[in-house]
Amino acid sequence: MNQLLFALFVLVTLGAYLATRWLFLTYRNPLLNPVFLSTVALIALLQATGLTLEDYRPAKDFMTFLLGPATVALALPLYHNRQVLKRHALPVLSGVAAGSLTTMAAALAAGRLLQLDRGVLLSLGPKSVTVPIAVEISRLTGGEASLTAAFVVATGMIGSIAGPALLSLCRVQSPVARGLALGTVSHGQGTAVALLENETAGAMGGVAMAIAAVFTALVAPYYLPLFLR
Amino acid sequence: MAKNLFKIIWQTVLLWLVFRLGVFLVGALHLSLPGNVAGMLLMFALLSSGLVKPACIEAASGFLLKHFAFFFIPISVGLMSFGSLMRQSGVALLAILLLSAMAGAAVTGVTVQLLQRRREP
Repeated sequence: MNQLLFALFVLVTLGAYLATRWLFLTYRNPLLNPVFLSTVALIALLQATGLTLEDYRPAKDFMTFLLGPATVALALPLYHNRQVLKRHALPVLSGVAAGSLTTMAAALAAGRLLQLDRGVLLSLGPKSVTVPIAVEISRLTGGEASLTAAFVVATGMIGSIAGPALLSLCRVQSPVARGLALGTVSHGQGTAVALLENETAGAMGGVAMAIAAVFTALVAPYYLPLFLR
Repeated sequence: MAKNLFKIIWQTVLLWLVFRLGVFLVGALHLSLPGNVAGMLLMFALLSSGLVKPACIEAASGFLLKHFAFFFIPISVGLMSFGSLMRQSGVALLAILLLSAMAGAAVTGVTVQLLQRRREP
């Protein structure tokens, strides 16, 4: 019974991913985010059948086994873009650092104002960083992994929908600046949108995503507690 | 096809080994850094020093990064246990995410553009 459930969960998750990915690639609308749609569908399915998160866990552990190696693979795009990184070292490092610190500060200050729990605030901290790294930072600082994952996916959608318009409103026209901004706040999803603008913006988005992840991982354990006192 | 699959598998094993090494180093050195970040930095160093050729991980990296989003689905399903938080503070949380993302994007964009202008007048 348990093995059957395990196999079914893996198949259903895989099916949901492939179906929503096809939908997204066909219509190219950020609202059709595959992670968002698949998650909603799976939660609805679990609730409709009366199954719990505990039943889903073995399948989850199996499916996320490759997330570690996949995160290590992020070194490759960064390596391919090392020349871009070298040429724009100052704007990349200062821009990404300033944006990462700002987005964390804004989220925690606003969250505190709205009297959210400490655990929720800590889960908000790394929300602009790509999921596997955000989840680990969250665990390290005392947040909730799945909450952080949801915040990251939502931030990715928000940034890729509203980001380009906001940057135009702020008269940010340089492709380097636009790519870095989108990659810093909205990781992979922001990078995908930057790539649609042009190749330079896309490359900068990828670089920003990697640097923001490393930078946030390094500072978050010391920076986030400043907002919790 | 079979050859490519084999290539992806052994390259994934290599990525996995570097990942485990990252996790091990972080634990051994008591760093407050996620193990996967250490693994990624380690791989970047290996590529930069030429010890690992890009071709040695290209097939697996391409495959894993193409389907990167898949891994987030099982993690996000855990959100199920936060139903009451979402009902209670869902709107506030969305507002926070929007506000903080926009603040971060504006700061990065403007900072970079100012630095670029100063360098190339």
